[in-house]
Amino acid sequence: MDLAFIVSITLDVLNFATPLLLAAAGILIVEKSGVINLGVEGMMIVGALAAYMVAASLASCGMMGFDGKTCLLDPLLGRWSFLVALLAGGLVGSILSLLFGFLVLTMRANQIASGLGLTILGLSLTNAIGNQGFDITGTPLQGFVPEEWRLSNGVLRLGTVNIVTLVAIATMPIGLWFLRRTRAGLVLRAVGENHNSAFTLGYPILRIRLLAITFGGFMAGVSGGYMSLALIGPSWREGLTNGYGWLALALILFGTWRPMRVLLGGILFGLTISLGPRLQNVDGLPGWFVPLFLPVLPYLVPIVVLALISFDATMIRRNAPGSLGKTFEPN
Amino acid sequence: MITWEHRESVGWQTSLKSIGIALALTLLLTFGALWLTTGMPLEAFWQMLTYPWQAERALTQWGKALNPAFYLSLIALGLSISYRANVWNIGAEGQFAIGSVFAFGAWLLLGMPNGLWAIPIILLSGVVGGMVWAAIPAALRTLANTNELLVSLMLVYIGAQFLFYLSNGPWEMSAAMKPVPTRTESIPDSLLFTSVFSQGPKLHWGLVWGWQVYLVVAALLAFTLLGYRLSVANQSKRAERFAGFSPVGTIWIAFLFSGGLAGLAGGIFLIGDTGYLVDQSNFLQNYGFTAIIVAFLGRLNPLGILVAGLALGYLEGGAGWLQASGLGDDSISGIIQVIALFCTLGTATLVTHRISWRGNP
Repeated sequence: MDLAFIVSITLDVLNFATPLLLAAAGILIVEKSGVINLGVEGMMIVGALAAYMVAASLASCGMMGFDGKTCLLDPLLGRWSFLVALLAGGLVGSILSLLFGFLVLTMRANQIASGLGLTILGLSLTNAIGNQGFDITGTPLQGFVPEEWRLSNGVLRLGTVNIVTLVAIATMPIGLWFLRRTRAGLVLRAVGENHNSAFTLGYPILRIRLLAITFGGFMAGVSGGYMSLALIGPSWREGLTNGYGWLALALILFGTWRPMRVLLGGILFGLTISLGPRLQNVDGLPGWFVPLFLPVLPYLVPIVVLALISFDATMIRRNAPGSLGKTFEPN
Repeated sequence: MITWEHRESVGWQTSLKSIGIALALTLLLTFGALWLTTGMPLEAFWQMLTYPWQAERALTQWGKALNPAFYLSLIALGLSISYRANVWNIGAEGQFAIGSVFAFGAWLLLGMPNGLWAIPIILLSGVVGGMVWAAIPAALRTLANTNELLVSLMLVYIGAQFLFYLSNGPWEMSAAMKPVPTRTESIPDSLLFTSVFSQGPKLHWGLVWGWQVYLVVAALLAFTLLGYRLSVANQSKRAERFAGFSPVGTIWIAFLFSGGLAGLAGGIFLIGDTGYLVDQSNFLQNYGFTAIIVAFLGRLNPLGILVAGLALGYLEGGAGWLQASGLGDDSISGIIQVIALFCTLGTATLVTHRISWRGNP
């Protein structure tokens, strides 16, 4: 193993961990406020399509003859258009999460069912829009991630690691600091730990939870945007997020709501995803290994590690927010 | 901001009222969705409502509605057993896939017979397949306290890949001219379920037999201790232990019933609708996921699930008709399903509470 190989596999792992960590940062805050939102996959895929659509229109308006439109934004935005597209994904993700917030907070709907519904809504919406409304399949977006945003040039074959990866890794220490060291973090934990006590202390439970849910939607949208712009693409296809939203949810359980463990889990999950393409050409593997075992590895490993981690029931009970998944009913 | 007040009396009227409100809201929002996607909401709505009578062959259209309705309500009935006990099996799609894999595998193991005696064995293997796949999250939950929701969902991806691998690898059809996409051998026509009527190929006898299983399971829920056990389990583990039911046993019951019914649906689908295994995107119809919606639309009640399954099946057929008549895309059905789900979930609190607009602090 030479240095270049180690560097390349490290960057690869971090690249795959990026969307997981971004989404997990949002889920961490949402669940610490006492809400389970299983709509992460749906918000991610909607964010992925939105980011791709914005990126495609920003990139192609610099070219001749795209819908006959003249482009005002691209020269102005320049390299920032990547960021704008990513934020657009986040915005759409948070809009979708507001719907979830209205259902579970105002209408007191079942959180698990509403979250599942949100995932199905996201998948159907993107299938409908990606199919007909906006023909983007052939739009060239190669090289959309600006060169100066990349950390490594020429080392990687698979994808590129850019500054978003650094942000994704930073979310976890920042999350730790926020939850442990700030007043807002303390209030958030109080609301998630016991909403009745927090209500008695005078905290606006629903408003705090809505803020948390919106943040979770934003992060899921950005994470989906990262997938369609940088990780897989730039491209769009149906079901592009491929269960990464669920992996991010598993990540939180793996990390038992503790940011640094979530970070560790993100790297572990990233490793399992990046392992697949690398093991393909190894000699002497049984016939089922490459077509069956390698594709399911990213879903198999979370099952195994979740089973191992959850053996210790007391650790989960100690770390899980006390009001997680419960509907707040003040009267 | 709205606030809620407890109703003084809660009865079937309040329940009916909330369903009525949900229905009205769903219709309103569906109208809006059709407006946005087709631009001709009235025309599209009329077409989706009356398509069996619009088409030349009404029975074919009824088949397109009743066929998915059957699979959806059968799987949803199993899921409702699990949800009533607060056990979250959301992996019915994977259990459906493994059910058909086991069913096909049984046919292969029997030596590819073409006698009718093989059908019960094939279907039973489907049930076993679904149960095996559901037993994994059940075992991890009961032995290692693992979150069953995520494990059952991860197993969907694994099960689908299994289906893909088998139909493209070991079980691939051996022929000079391979069809695209590659698939397994076909189960002989003599074994496949025939249609009930001379036309309407999707209305096969598998649906008729399957409905009877539905009735039996619904009767079990209504007339035996099972239904009571599930509702005790829903209250709390403590209550469950006081009543003498083991929580571990309830988790197993929930998973084995829901997995078994999803597996049965997979087996019936194999010998009623396709006759062979093919890669997951051409085989799986998303029934396992849509059935989650059906279970909640039916408020986890066998009768409600039947109605909800029929409604969503009719909707699937209608969306297909809409696309065929060039008015819109059939992905509209997914959106309408979620609209209905959200309206139902959002109005569930209305059964026990009333909205007060006076805004108390």
